[in-house]
Amino acid sequence: MDIAAIERLGFEIALGAYLISSILFILYLSSKKRRLADMGFTLTAFGFAFQTLALITRWFYAGHPPWVNTYEVMSFFAWTIVGAYLVLNIRTDYKSVGTLVAPLSFATLGFASLQPSNPTPLIPALQSVWLLIHVPIVVVSYCALFIAFVASILFLFKDKQLSEQRTLKDKRLLKNRSTEAMRALSQEHTNILDKLSLTQLDDLAYRSVAVGFPLLTIGIITGAIWAEAAWGSYWSWDPKETWSLITWFVFLIYLHAKTQNWSSSLAAYIAAFGFISVICTFLGVAYVLPFLETYISVSTGLHSYAGGGDVAGTVFFCGIVGFVFLLLFMTRKKPPHASDTPLAEATPEVTRVD
Amino acid sequence: MNIAIKLLTSTKFAIVIIAVIIALAAFGTVYPGGDAIFGSWLFLPFIGLLALSTVTCSLTRIRPLLRAVMHPKLEVDDQFLQQLPYHTKLTGVAISQFKAHLKGFKWYESTSSETTFVFAQKGRIGRFGPYIAHFGVLILLLGVVIGAAFGQTNPYNDTITVIPVGGSQQVDGFVLRLDSFNVSYYDNGAVREYRAIVTIIDGNQVQTRDITINGPTNYKGLTFLLYGYDSQGVIESGKASWVAFQIKNDTGITLVWTGAAVTLLGIMLSLYISHKRVWIKLYKEQITLGAISNKNVVRFLKNIDNLCAKLEDHS
Repeated sequence: MDIAAIERLGFEIALGAYLISSILFILYLSSKKRRLADMGFTLTAFGFAFQTLALITRWFYAGHPPWVNTYEVMSFFAWTIVGAYLVLNIRTDYKSVGTLVAPLSFATLGFASLQPSNPTPLIPALQSVWLLIHVPIVVVSYCALFIAFVASILFLFKDKQLSEQRTLKDKRLLKNRSTEAMRALSQEHTNILDKLSLTQLDDLAYRSVAVGFPLLTIGIITGAIWAEAAWGSYWSWDPKETWSLITWFVFLIYLHAKTQNWSSSLAAYIAAFGFISVICTFLGVAYVLPFLETYISVSTGLHSYAGGGDVAGTVFFCGIVGFVFLLLFMTRKKPPHASDTPLAEATPEVTRVD
Repeated sequence: MNIAIKLLTSTKFAIVIIAVIIALAAFGTVYPGGDAIFGSWLFLPFIGLLALSTVTCSLTRIRPLLRAVMHPKLEVDDQFLQQLPYHTKLTGVAISQFKAHLKGFKWYESTSSETTFVFAQKGRIGRFGPYIAHFGVLILLLGVVIGAAFGQTNPYNDTITVIPVGGSQQVDGFVLRLDSFNVSYYDNGAVREYRAIVTIIDGNQVQTRDITINGPTNYKGLTFLLYGYDSQGVIESGKASWVAFQIKNDTGITLVWTGAAVTLLGIMLSLYISHKRVWIKLYKEQITLGAISNKNVVRFLKNIDNLCAKLEDHS
């Protein structure tokens, strides 16, 4: 068996494992059976082991770090997200975070599988020690900021759920129901978010930014040092540079919001927008600007990846941004009067639970 | 005037400026020809305003912080201790026991008639992190301004010089001679490397150096980068007859890198070092203790709670 085949096999096993674990996590979301989440977690770890094997063999036979062409960068990104997720679970049980991590890893790796997988030789501009340092630092920072986003979204969902529970409780108390109704109410909402408190989620988001933000800073600085050596200018407002600075500024606002004791939900929204900015930096610059360039002649700058600007990439970018906005839309709280009608129907059920 | 100062010292205003910069920068990348915005008088004033706001925000906050951290309040009353996130009362515990257990803390003590006041703190430097980061950003911006202002006074800055292979060029008191230029290829035909070999002749000093894409060379403050080559010649005869070099002289670059490093240091200090403070009041064998931390609160307060329980058990 030749070494490229080992890499391919590891890659495909990982892709399959992430797909099945995504399905398990989605089933878990609907059935709330804890075992499904545990299985999803184990399967993700299993896939991670095979992807690690794939990455190492690739490094070995490509002769350069496995983050040069789109296929490699996307695989590496998926690997890092899963790695971050596994590390997160060492001390605290954050398995349910997998409901967002597994599908995204599958989507990223699936997108990688659509790209040409032949190793590309290093072009002169990439022959630098900074390739070894700059790229992984940036990718790890994006992953940390992704975890911050996941924690923020979960925070917003939990916050919404709690406030709905509160209004529900108030109304039922007003209707002077029995204590059984109260007990049933507290059991009604046993789901993934019960294990994690609002403070815990807020804290996880902050800690992830505390890891991701300094790494992003180092990433921008090492990028500037590299640009100075290769292009003779540490900063040229190239779209990639500009978007990385925008991301830096958004998380700078997040950190200032934290010191100002602004509300945690506002901080969560800022972190979510920060992640959209990460996607624009990571994918948008490579997949959307080339389209704009074709139609309305925007400069793509010097950063575009090999193979950038294809349709699959644009679809992938739009899919993820759309998904993020959908999640944000779902976290919005309903105005109080809207919940009036379903409540009247829900009350008779309550008496049955005992 | 008062309103201007009020605005410049407000964090909210700084955030508004950052939001405007974000919007302008995003616009610059997606709108055709929008990248012209970055050097324009629409964009630069906001950067200037942000710098000014950084200065005023830091200056107004650093003095009260210095006072609070360098000369901490020692003689505190019970009311103050009770509003701290952790406070407890202990009996039969000596202050020296706390000193033995709280490692790395700086201790302050004062005794008045019957009461002893003790204060301990650790991680003060973390409180200065934001100001160190702000200072770093200002150094960086200064470097950018110096680079832009003084770059224009040097006639060689940002110029392109074309040298024929085997020929030479007079640059700022010395001569740059292009000895050879080679392009090497991978098996699949992609370019592996561009390499120019040049000789710098400065009076009696003669040095030969290589210049590649990621390996520019410096001499007397000037940086020489590979900029272009006679690709037509390479296609037709496999040999380039000339090479273009970009010459740079950025006088501000040391400040830019220093500023970036200081900013990073400040960010790490403010994110990773938590300022922990403990007040102890001893009055007639009775200890009242209060503790606070600006980060990692839960863990620190838990540790203090465990320590108090342990010391009281042993007494």
